[in-house]
Amino acid sequence: MAFEYQIKYQAENTYEMSVSEAQWKFLIMPENKERQQLLSSEFYTSEPCHHYRGAGLFGFSSIMVSCDVPVKEITFTADYRVLREEENPFDFTEQPPADQFSALDSMAFKVEHMLFLYPTALTTLPAFSESEFEPDRKKSIFENLQDLNHWVRSKLHFKPNVTRVDSTLNDVLSGDGGVCQDFTHLFCAMARHHGIPARYVSGYLHQGQGFSGDMHMHAWVEAFIPGNGWKGFDPTNDLLCDHHHIKVCHGRDYQDCAPIRGVIFTSGRNETEYSVQVQAQQ
Amino acid sequence: MLARVANNLFWMGRYIERSEHTARYTNVNYFSSLDAPRQLSQSRQFVLRSIRFMTGDMPDESVKSLDEKETLFNLSFNQDKNYSIINNVRAARENANSARDLISTELYEALNKFYHYVTNYPSEVFVSKSLYEFTVYVTEMSAILRSKIHGTLLHDEIYAIIMLGINIERVTQLVRIINAKYNDAKKTESDNPRAMENSYEWTTLLKCCECYDMHRRLNRKTPHQLSTLKFLLLNPNNPRSVMNSLDKIYDHIRLLDPDDDPDHESTRFVIGKLRSTLEFTHISEIGIDTEGYIENLLKKISDISHLMEEEYFNY
Amino acid sequence: MKIKSKHPIFSDYEKDPKLFDEIFDEEGKVKKIYKKLFEIYGNHSIEDFEALNKKAKASFFNQGITFQVYDEHQQKEKIFPFDLFPRIIHPDEWEIIEKGALQRSRALNLFLYDIYHDKKILKDGIVPMDLLASSKNYLHQMMNIDPPGGIYNHISGTDLIKHSDGKYYVLEDNIRCPSGVSYVICNRTALKRALFGVFDHYSTHTVTNYAENLLEIIESVKPQGVDQPNCVVLTPGMFNSAYYEHSYLAKAMGVQLVEGRDLYVDNNFVYMKTIRGPEKVDVIYRRVDDLFLDPFVFHPDSALGVPGLFSAYQHGNVNIVNAPGTGVADDKAVYTYMPEIIDYYLGEEPILNNVKTYRCGNPDELKYVLEHIPELVIKPVDEAGGYGISIGNRLSKKEIEAVKEQIKADPRKYIAQPILSLSVHATYIEDSGSFEQRHIDLRTFSLLGKDKEFVLKGGLTRVALQKGNLVVNSSQGGGSKDTWVLKKSK
Repeated sequence: MAFEYQIKYQAENTYEMSVSEAQWKFLIMPENKERQQLLSSEFYTSEPCHHYRGAGLFGFSSIMVSCDVPVKEITFTADYRVLREEENPFDFTEQPPADQFSALDSMAFKVEHMLFLYPTALTTLPAFSESEFEPDRKKSIFENLQDLNHWVRSKLHFKPNVTRVDSTLNDVLSGDGGVCQDFTHLFCAMARHHGIPARYVSGYLHQGQGFSGDMHMHAWVEAFIPGNGWKGFDPTNDLLCDHHHIKVCHGRDYQDCAPIRGVIFTSGRNETEYSVQVQAQQ
Repeated sequence: MLARVANNLFWMGRYIERSEHTARYTNVNYFSSLDAPRQLSQSRQFVLRSIRFMTGDMPDESVKSLDEKETLFNLSFNQDKNYSIINNVRAARENANSARDLISTELYEALNKFYHYVTNYPSEVFVSKSLYEFTVYVTEMSAILRSKIHGTLLHDEIYAIIMLGINIERVTQLVRIINAKYNDAKKTESDNPRAMENSYEWTTLLKCCECYDMHRRLNRKTPHQLSTLKFLLLNPNNPRSVMNSLDKIYDHIRLLDPDDDPDHESTRFVIGKLRSTLEFTHISEIGIDTEGYIENLLKKISDISHLMEEEYFNY
Repeated sequence: MKIKSKHPIFSDYEKDPKLFDEIFDEEGKVKKIYKKLFEIYGNHSIEDFEALNKKAKASFFNQGITFQVYDEHQQKEKIFPFDLFPRIIHPDEWEIIEKGALQRSRALNLFLYDIYHDKKILKDGIVPMDLLASSKNYLHQMMNIDPPGGIYNHISGTDLIKHSDGKYYVLEDNIRCPSGVSYVICNRTALKRALFGVFDHYSTHTVTNYAENLLEIIESVKPQGVDQPNCVVLTPGMFNSAYYEHSYLAKAMGVQLVEGRDLYVDNNFVYMKTIRGPEKVDVIYRRVDDLFLDPFVFHPDSALGVPGLFSAYQHGNVNIVNAPGTGVADDKAVYTYMPEIIDYYLGEEPILNNVKTYRCGNPDELKYVLEHIPELVIKPVDEAGGYGISIGNRLSKKEIEAVKEQIKADPRKYIAQPILSLSVHATYIEDSGSFEQRHIDLRTFSLLGKDKEFVLKGGLTRVALQKGNLVVNSSQGGGSKDTWVLKKSK
């Protein structure tokens, strides 16, 4: 069975003072990959702009936009149709835990996954948290990661507008909850701390299913299971990823995956309001 | 050539030329007034006002007496006055800096020396003792710079851009100087049109434009209003005339825009039109409303400068 | 000891027997290679030198060959002090330096390719993974990118010193945006103007061929499918301390000097804004740091870079010289592995010596360092320009303790090396109006292109003008000397 998703991404930027020669970069296009087929994509703007498809990191595509006229207000809209095949996250066979753990310890493995094994500024685990989660070497990596998923959920509760995109884990854990980025960063930080490669994933979440974080772009984790490969975990909802998750890109942390980046030279204030609609038909 | 750099080179040319005119205007007016035939022309206040008028920094009507040292300091070394020579030279060098890879070493070195000379010059000495020495140095240095531009740069579009800057500035300054001296002549001889025709200010005007000797050779008599205006506005062989400068401007713009069927809104077309109109203007047409004519000319030249900016430097 | 000289300008020359003097041997006699020069200079009076020195300074100043220094309050325009007594390098000695510098450049290039692709050297455990993974100069954005021509460090500056044992040692490799080459050329010009006669007696290699070779090198690494590449020099602007050099190189190569605002990217191609509209750019010799190249990928507030440049680079439509991310390999901690790196990729013995280096990130070596501070120079791993260096035997007890605390707070940030004794060279000192011994080093410039290599036969000999000062950087009050590499006699 497959789902056909209609995704609408919309960003509305307003500037206190009119800006000219403004440029933006969007990382919002669903990845075209196995079990996830991008059927169509459209991008348009409310003001005369021209745009082209640029490279993002790790081979993902971005949309580069530059505006031909000075603007005070501009709206960007993207429409995507994606065919997502049903996916059962439990449908695979693992190696024995001992083999998995010894694979994690091998030098070649570590070097291969180096980028997703080291902390970044946003995935640095505060010292007080380091010992709060210990993997159980008798269990498989997959089971351990599910435990980690529960643990993250137990440490944080979903609360919008208390953290920012550049909040460190130290800030997040000393504060009062957070949003999907924070859950994802925490998961990545702890997995990496224990030598399991983990990467930050940005994407869309099927709306109307009662998930947290579905009003905006969502974030979750992909962790590497030796012998099997990358597996998706959604710590915000304490779920495993499946066909409700439509991936855009991955990176080391939010910095690599920010959906919108603007280069604007103005001394005035600016604001971005954005919304996401994800609807499906089977 | 980069649009930003072209803009900088254009302005380098303008600033080099501008400092020269400021220096010479001051020099000529100050020293002519020392033995001028009329009482008013001899008055120091009259000269200082003329200088202020020329720099575009006229004091309020209420100011009765201008301070000589202050006026001289303002036009030479006052860093807060955008028209001061030091600011012009600094701006010329800064513009050259940004295009250092394109201009010759010789030109840059000459401009750099000029800059260091001016910035290290003791301003107290200038206002009290060395008015002559300093202003002459500035005019001579500008001549050296022009000769370096002419002699050490390939005559390509870089050269054309700099020369456009120089000549557009020259026309602008010429017309401003004519305007300022016309104004002086009117003041000295306000009630007598015949006396105005023969005013001593015309001699000063020619000297301000370094044209007195040339005019003498051509006309062999004391300059009067019509002969002076004709010589400064219309004579194509006078290198300091508006006509001659427009000819050069037209030559240089053709190097940038070789299209012989130019768009009627292009800089080349507009310059060509102004040049040809002037070529077939008779001095009697100017004599009817000289002030109106001069004002109109100034506006047209400033329009051309804006047009160039739009067409070539808009980056 | 005083040297024996009948020439008045050297009569006060104090030779310290503990230091290696480039001109005088242990008995205080002039070495063979300097004999002729010494004779010619000896015929000048101190007054002559004073006058020549003044002229040389004015010449630099008038030509605008200056750099900006920043202190707390303002920036000032200064000339880079130039010394009239040249440094001479024997052809045999030079051969070793040249081969050694190229060997290092090649090894570093292979190292960079490896660590941004398969990372074999890490998997084989030759260089520890931690070293790279924790380095802020390791740009993950560069992973699996193939720079056109396969070259990362097109331009390398190798800093060498001669120790009291008479051997050259490499102090560091500079492969981000090594600067100083314009001074090599200016110094030669200035010396020719001041003392042209001396060149009659020596057969010296020219240094003015640098720019043409640089242009050939950067043209050789043009993007695929480009026939006649359009090359530019990218500068942060005229307020940058090395602006003179940027403009010199652009002019000498006959290419455009651009700032970030002159460029834009459309459809993953780079264009510059000219008076006749857009013009495609193929190779950018950039003198802008990695993190300022593209605000979409690196430092988001940078106004020096070009939005979209990195995407164009990823598409292979433009080349950036040196490649982004080279900084990871001139990190002072990677330096300590140079002998292993050369052996790993080239299977060769290092031609130039590395200075014994203690890595504070390693617990055993950290222990040694903390116990032997007075014998060591402590350097931060990632500071350029000679900042943050502590020289152990100059520190008071209190300062030693402070340095120890500093190291312990972040051991990976520091390395330590034995205090080397830099060789000394006769240098004209303005204050005393005579020649005195001063410490010197040498920066060489090597170029790597596609199937092409070049080492400038000459280099920047930097001299520490303050007596006894071992740091010879220009921002720390250093000067420089013309450097002669002699031709082999036939």
